[in-house]
Amino acid sequence: MTAGKTFIEISNLSKRFGGLTAVDDVDFEVREGEVLGLIGPNGAGKSTTFNLICGYYPANTGSIRLDGKEIIGQPPHKIAALGIMRTFQHNMPFEGMSVTENVMVGAHTTLHGGLIPVLLGTGRARSEERALRKKADELIDFVGLSEERDTPVTSLSFGQGRLLETARALAGEPRLILFDEPAAGLTPSECVRLSEIIRGIADRGIAVLLIEHDMHFLMSLAERVVVLNFGSKIADALPQDIRNNPAVIQAYLGDAAVIGADTENGSGADA
Amino acid sequence: MGAAIRWGGAALIMCVVPFLLPLYEMDVYRKMLFWVALAISYNFLFGIAGQMALSHFAFAGIGAYTVVILMTQAGVPLLLAIPLALGLAGILAFIVSFAATRLEGFYLALATLAFAQLFIVILDEGGALTGGTGGLTSYKLPLVFGFEIQGPWLAIAMALVLLLTLAFLLRIDRSWYGRACRAIRDNGEAAAAMGVDVKRTKIMAFTLTSVMAAGAGMVYAFFDNTVNPPVFGLENAFMLLFMVIIGGSGSHLGAIVGAVLLRLLQDMLEPFVGQFHVMGLGILMVVVILVQPKGLVGIWDDLVGRKRAGRRKAKP
Amino acid sequence: MADLLELLVSATASGCVYGLIALAYLLVLRPTGVINFASGEWAMMGAYAAYVISDAGGLPPILAIPAAALVLAIIGWLTEWLTVRPLVERGAGHLAPILALLGMLVIYHQVVLLSFSEDQYPLDGPFGFGRIEFGLLAGSYQDFFIVGATIAIFIGFWLFFERTVWGRSFEAVAINRRAAALMGINLRMVTALSFAGAAAIAATAGVLDSPRGSVEANMSLPLAVQGFSALIIGGINRVEGALLGGIVLAFAEDLTRRYAPIPSGLALGVTPVLLITFLLVLPNGILRAKEAK
Repeated sequence: MTAGKTFIEISNLSKRFGGLTAVDDVDFEVREGEVLGLIGPNGAGKSTTFNLICGYYPANTGSIRLDGKEIIGQPPHKIAALGIMRTFQHNMPFEGMSVTENVMVGAHTTLHGGLIPVLLGTGRARSEERALRKKADELIDFVGLSEERDTPVTSLSFGQGRLLETARALAGEPRLILFDEPAAGLTPSECVRLSEIIRGIADRGIAVLLIEHDMHFLMSLAERVVVLNFGSKIADALPQDIRNNPAVIQAYLGDAAVIGADTENGSGADA
Repeated sequence: MGAAIRWGGAALIMCVVPFLLPLYEMDVYRKMLFWVALAISYNFLFGIAGQMALSHFAFAGIGAYTVVILMTQAGVPLLLAIPLALGLAGILAFIVSFAATRLEGFYLALATLAFAQLFIVILDEGGALTGGTGGLTSYKLPLVFGFEIQGPWLAIAMALVLLLTLAFLLRIDRSWYGRACRAIRDNGEAAAAMGVDVKRTKIMAFTLTSVMAAGAGMVYAFFDNTVNPPVFGLENAFMLLFMVIIGGSGSHLGAIVGAVLLRLLQDMLEPFVGQFHVMGLGILMVVVILVQPKGLVGIWDDLVGRKRAGRRKAKP
Repeated sequence: MADLLELLVSATASGCVYGLIALAYLLVLRPTGVINFASGEWAMMGAYAAYVISDAGGLPPILAIPAAALVLAIIGWLTEWLTVRPLVERGAGHLAPILALLGMLVIYHQVVLLSFSEDQYPLDGPFGFGRIEFGLLAGSYQDFFIVGATIAIFIGFWLFFERTVWGRSFEAVAINRRAAALMGINLRMVTALSFAGAAAIAATAGVLDSPRGSVEANMSLPLAVQGFSALIIGGINRVEGALLGGIVLAFAEDLTRRYAPIPSGLALGVTPVLLITFLLVLPNGILRAKEAK
């Protein structure tokens, strides 16, 4: 659990939509094997930060460096190929495909075969496909969906859908994985399960960036927490220090009880 | 090994059948093969890659007209005309496919429908080059080793095109590429987040399947040694859509079932009930969409699945 | 010059017919997101209904128009109830209703073909056949009647959407179905009325257009194509866009056919070329979406 070297470094990141500054001069870094929590009141710019990292829209200023290399300006699929995978706040499975195939799509960027070997049916293409299927099955076991392997994706429960998204993101062999409110909508026992899985992911040396409203869930996982408010970073500290940070308490409108309390009901939609 | 025997067996049967059929039935048979070949490539485009394009028949027409024009008017030998026609279809498809990267759902349908319409306008007004509204007639395939390829031999050619198309599509469908196509169909944003290059994948699907349509169209051109605009018009483009949906969109078997069924419906029923068979087509379409969006193949799966589930329950 | 002015009058009339069909598409598209290719069939069925009503029923042509619109409104409502509502309630994908309506298109067409022969039937306009001149402008009675009736219809719809609570609720549904439902707007009712209204408008277009040619089953496809082309050209966001798109399309067609140095058959390419151009270059049409209020 000792954090490794810096994987992604965000500095002076800003994004404006019309007159609204959604992200304002934010900087932080995520290290390998570290779980970094990203919190803030609704509309603080957490999701926008995610979308900037994933390349959905370009930043107005600032830089996002991966191993020291600038990634701003790259389209989403290129960023995925660089080792940044994500789950969505609202599950987005591929509904017409099986659970296993969903996970196999996640591994898209790890394949190197091209279309010609596929057409020729070469041994390498076939063994790559076999290995991929095996890897997908292992990931399905890892997240605990073994029983649901043959269930149509549309009949999975919400929590199972979240686990599927997690396995799908892991299939891409990410070096950074972004979770957008993973605990929202889960039952308490599912929360515990997901928490263990995320812990396990970090133990594999993968950097984890976690947006979460459920403080109980977040504080038990995160080694470090970045707090945003109105697009600006107001704190970057250890979880225990965040609880007592006056700026943070102020940001949550003096609602100090929110911090550290079990706020499963407080997880609203993020703007 | 088993697969080779299965494919070889299928090819053998498909190639022997036309020699056993009387002339009219043989013609029905080979035209059915043409439709099946188009339906399976269209199914990949619409049912698997999720692109509601209505240009598929136009590309069959581009293949047919180009090969005939090259041979009869430019004197290009057949073996060169085939790759040239496929190449032209590929280039045009590549250009049109950019519409597929910018437009979604019915907007793509409208744009490709306009393209198909434009193709017909050009055929109608093409003068001596395209033969105008009457089309091109009375050309012939060259003799191959002094042998005239006609009748059932063309059915064999079409059967081979069909099998080649099917083998090709099955291979790519069961690979990372097929998965990427389905992922884009189901959720483009999530597919991109998984590293799928949405634009490139869409362009490839459109171009590949359109070239396949052109290949089938080329063989079709020599069935009756005539090509004319109505064959490649809007009605047939919609017919193809109906075939794939009624059979079961996204399923290769569904496309085959849909094409065979609707062709049989037309060829067998038309002499008896006239226009009524088209009504049946409309009713089938509405019923399938309302009852089982996965088409006839889906209804079959439901029946079999229920039986299996019943059996499983019966076990202690 | 006189030639040009006469052309302008008849092109305006054609544009009005296209605009009405585009309005029929728009009425369904805005609240449901469904493009209803059967709009052309509705126009054709409206023309047949008017033919039957005025020929067999003996109603004067001017009354045959609302009567045909009413018949089609019922058909449109039934169509929504039978094919679209079950799909929406099941949560089927957005393509499903479009495809089901394509199936209905075939059924409509075949019912008409089986009920009537493939012949062409004459339909009288309310003012019969004749020519009228307003100063420099000259055209047939029917052309002027089409323009007048279309303007009246569009003003009516514009007022409905802009000035009435009911019209506003349609717009609310168009912008956000979920939010509209939360505001207490009856989604089912809005959708059913959209289909009924669209069918009535399409029927009116068919009845207005037929005296310039004839009532025939083949009139549906060109009207369907020109209708959605007009819709895309004008922009799918505003009622007045439908009319503007229709007129732009008709002028482009007629002026090309008359004056462009190309064979008249090739002029048929104007519509698809315009459609492709607008879809790819100006997907929002000529009129931009209204700013959200």
